[in-house]
Amino acid sequence: MKKQWLSNFVLAGIIRFLLMNSEYQKVISDRVEVSTALNSWKRVTEGVYLYNCGIDPYTGDLFHETPIGLYVFNFIQQHLSQWILFCLFVFTDLLTAVFLGLTAKQYATELVSKQKVEEKLCNENKETHNDASIVYTSMMYVSAGYLFNPYIILNCVGHTTTVFTNLLYSIALVSMTRSIFWNCLSISLLTLQGLYPVSLIMPAIIYITHSNSINRKRNIINYVIVFASIITTLFGISYYIMGSWSFLWSTLGFILTVPDLRPNVGLYWYFFTEVFEHFRWLFIASFQINVSLLYIVPLALRLRHDPMLLAFSYLAVTAIFKSYPCIGDVGFYMSLLPLWKHLFQYTQQGFIVGCFISANANFYFGVTLAFAIAQIFLLTDILFASVKHEFAVRHGINKDISGNTAKLLLE
Amino acid sequence: MIHFKIPLLSFIFITFIKCVSPQNDFFDEELMLKPLPSNHVYAYFQFTTVWETTKDATTFMKCVIKYKYSIIQHSHLFPRGLGEIISRHNVDELHLTLTKGLWHYQKWGYPYHDAGPGAEITTWFHKDVKNVDDEWKGLTNALAGLFCASLNFVNPANSISPEYTFRPTGVVDRSAGVVDSVNSSHLRYSSLPREIVCTENLTPFKKLLPCDSKKGLATLLNSAYIHNTNYHSIGIHFRVICSNTICTKTSLELRQSVSLIYDTVTDVSQDWSIRKFFGMGIRGACPLATLSNIYIDISSNNTNQIYELVPSPSAKIVSLRGGQLNEIAVYDIRSHSSKGIFNIQVLYNTTHTAGLNYPSILYANRYIIGYGQERGSLVTKIYNNYWQTLDIILLESIPWYLPRYLPGKERKSPYYLELILRLPPQSVTKFSIEMDYSFLKWQEYPPDANHGFYMGPAIITALLPIARNYTPLPLDGSTITSSFNASREGYLVQLRTESLLISLPTPDFSMPYNVICLACTAVALAFGPLHNISTKRLVLKRVEMDWKEKLLSFLMKKIVKSKKKQE
Repeated sequence: MKKQWLSNFVLAGIIRFLLMNSEYQKVISDRVEVSTALNSWKRVTEGVYLYNCGIDPYTGDLFHETPIGLYVFNFIQQHLSQWILFCLFVFTDLLTAVFLGLTAKQYATELVSKQKVEEKLCNENKETHNDASIVYTSMMYVSAGYLFNPYIILNCVGHTTTVFTNLLYSIALVSMTRSIFWNCLSISLLTLQGLYPVSLIMPAIIYITHSNSINRKRNIINYVIVFASIITTLFGISYYIMGSWSFLWSTLGFILTVPDLRPNVGLYWYFFTEVFEHFRWLFIASFQINVSLLYIVPLALRLRHDPMLLAFSYLAVTAIFKSYPCIGDVGFYMSLLPLWKHLFQYTQQGFIVGCFISANANFYFGVTLAFAIAQIFLLTDILFASVKHEFAVRHGINKDISGNTAKLLLE
Repeated sequence: MIHFKIPLLSFIFITFIKCVSPQNDFFDEELMLKPLPSNHVYAYFQFTTVWETTKDATTFMKCVIKYKYSIIQHSHLFPRGLGEIISRHNVDELHLTLTKGLWHYQKWGYPYHDAGPGAEITTWFHKDVKNVDDEWKGLTNALAGLFCASLNFVNPANSISPEYTFRPTGVVDRSAGVVDSVNSSHLRYSSLPREIVCTENLTPFKKLLPCDSKKGLATLLNSAYIHNTNYHSIGIHFRVICSNTICTKTSLELRQSVSLIYDTVTDVSQDWSIRKFFGMGIRGACPLATLSNIYIDISSNNTNQIYELVPSPSAKIVSLRGGQLNEIAVYDIRSHSSKGIFNIQVLYNTTHTAGLNYPSILYANRYIIGYGQERGSLVTKIYNNYWQTLDIILLESIPWYLPRYLPGKERKSPYYLELILRLPPQSVTKFSIEMDYSFLKWQEYPPDANHGFYMGPAIITALLPIARNYTPLPLDGSTITSSFNASREGYLVQLRTESLLISLPTPDFSMPYNVICLACTAVALAFGPLHNISTKRLVLKRVEMDWKEKLLSFLMKKIVKSKKKQE
């Protein structure tokens, strides 16, 4: 088992290394699907150069990383050679896969114990699963899903800063039940960089309420205080590095007002190219509310029993509707799909999603539209499946009412 | 402080008296005709108005502001319309050129005034101006009205304030006690390469002259003839100059220039004349002009007589300047026109002679490389033909829609880069910038978006060590006469490269509704199911069938049963 685990990592590392040293590296990193204004390494390089020349990189239209990111990348670019830089990207990706594997392990264990409780309640003698093997396969699939996901490989080879963002995401997921500090730190860093991940504090808080300790309320307050103080500190550090608040407009303002209209895999670029100037702010506001605020509370209420699925849906909604999405974001949440292996029997749109994702159109906007719709179908399908699963666990999968066929309906 | 204030008050008092005092200004009109080695003829008109006002620029402005344009109301030769604009916006120096065509530095040498294609405007505002951007907007709008040019399209998004390329050419007020009071924050430069120059710009230009186009050299400026040239450029150059050597008095200088390049190669005979170029002879000098001269550069004629001038000139001047020897024939219009309309002809003895071209020592060109509409590179090539190193300042100004990798802001300010370079002797320096073409909002594209976007020229500033092919006036001179025998330590040139046409990716202008509908549909596709999932609960419901469905299911059951029986 360990052998297989290790060989996966070695193989994934080799694939990344080979591609990075091939002539395709430049082509891949120039693709708009891989590099956006927010995560392109070229912009980081130029921004760091300007910073070293004593020019504020945020005065221009080019640099949108956080000042902390600027500081770190400055260090990386000054002290690391080309080879070590490659190694860093690959290593970060592999580390992310490890964390995702750990997340999967934990979630699968949770799931198995939950199932046991349910089985006891139902007094049904089903065949006993091999718990260890379930946990192991889940872990294996998730890490492999990250390691061999073509989106993630391209993302890593293209040298985007999403590689580091994904690491932070995986830390946030794995630390959700383990450490308040690491969870808060990673979510605050993500928030500083991309704003939308702030929604991840919701599943973290739900995890706290699920814990059996006596003083839940105190724990929640504790969490909120830790989060608030960390994010304030990070803003303070950023201010200290730059000496002004100008970076806010270039990072968070850039995300919220969508001034860059170059193509990417999202829905914003062509929409805001073509929208009538008169309605621009209306649509910007409604699109941003759609991605950041609208689904937080309803989904949190509905999925309060499964915070990991809640986190997954937040990640998916963000990856679909954020202002500058890239395939690195898409690949991250897609590699979490094996966690919902137990829901697959309830899904209905696998074929449609498969067709849509591989769809081709003669118009770039058509492609991105189809891609977004495929992801939407995937997400809603998983969520429907989870609801059905919940129902089935309670009432069985039997669809008959006293001999007559019946339909499952949402009412 | 106190002893500073008193003279200032008395100064204003004196200036007020001077404001209404009799005029002490003069007007010169000159035309230089210079045959070029490439068989083109360079015609350069210059109309110079110098108005000696016994005060420095500051008090001039104060006088104007305090006494409600009293100076301007009493202007004599200085054009009042322009004067009002200049004083209202507190302008220290103004250069405005409207040009069609590209000046070939390699073949034609250096012109009297460098001008980029389209409209180009450079302004130094007075250092007391608080909000430069507002004044800049007001000034360009006023000039747009005065010259019927689209200068109202100048805005902060296409204006820059480069630090090194532009220096004031006139008197700089140093009373503030600062050693270097030249601050580029009061400088604005903008170029509108798309601007098309035509008759409607020339007519208001001529109206600024004291004799209008009724008398003097300005009668030669017929739009039908001058817009037929290979290159034409009209310019307005205003500055404050010293009127004596120790600079205790200053004058306002306005130079109006017209540069034309005529092609004589394509004609059957190489002979040319004033009448051939301008459609008419000279009727006489402007009566208000102090100096009214025509110069013809006859340097190419001095070794072997290949052409002769009819009538013969009033005088001949030999000018030695920076290693360049020129012989110039001078015609005083007043003496020649006493007999009526006169024409100057250049008649060739031989059929065709190719001139010997000494290439200019510094020239440049610029172009775009790359394919597709995603990214490209901007390449500037600078040639140094001199045997020594040359120090230059390169100003690359890149519109905001051609990012990046330089500080600048989309839709707010252009990107610019100033480089100070030392060119090795006998070298070609290639400088390239990578660019990403950006995607604009559909309403930001000009009409006929697929035609492309114009990009203004790069400017190369240098102090040349020799004056080969060099014509510009020295900084201390006002008239063409002052450029004869004017050897200086260095010769300032500001080369303009080509303006470029760039095709940006264009959206489909016909489908905003489709795009809005489709993108909103995608959002709705997510919103609907997520709303359902989070607000509704799952229930089992018996399927109610109408009679058709009942019949169908009955039949189906029968078939299934019969099949099972068969098995």
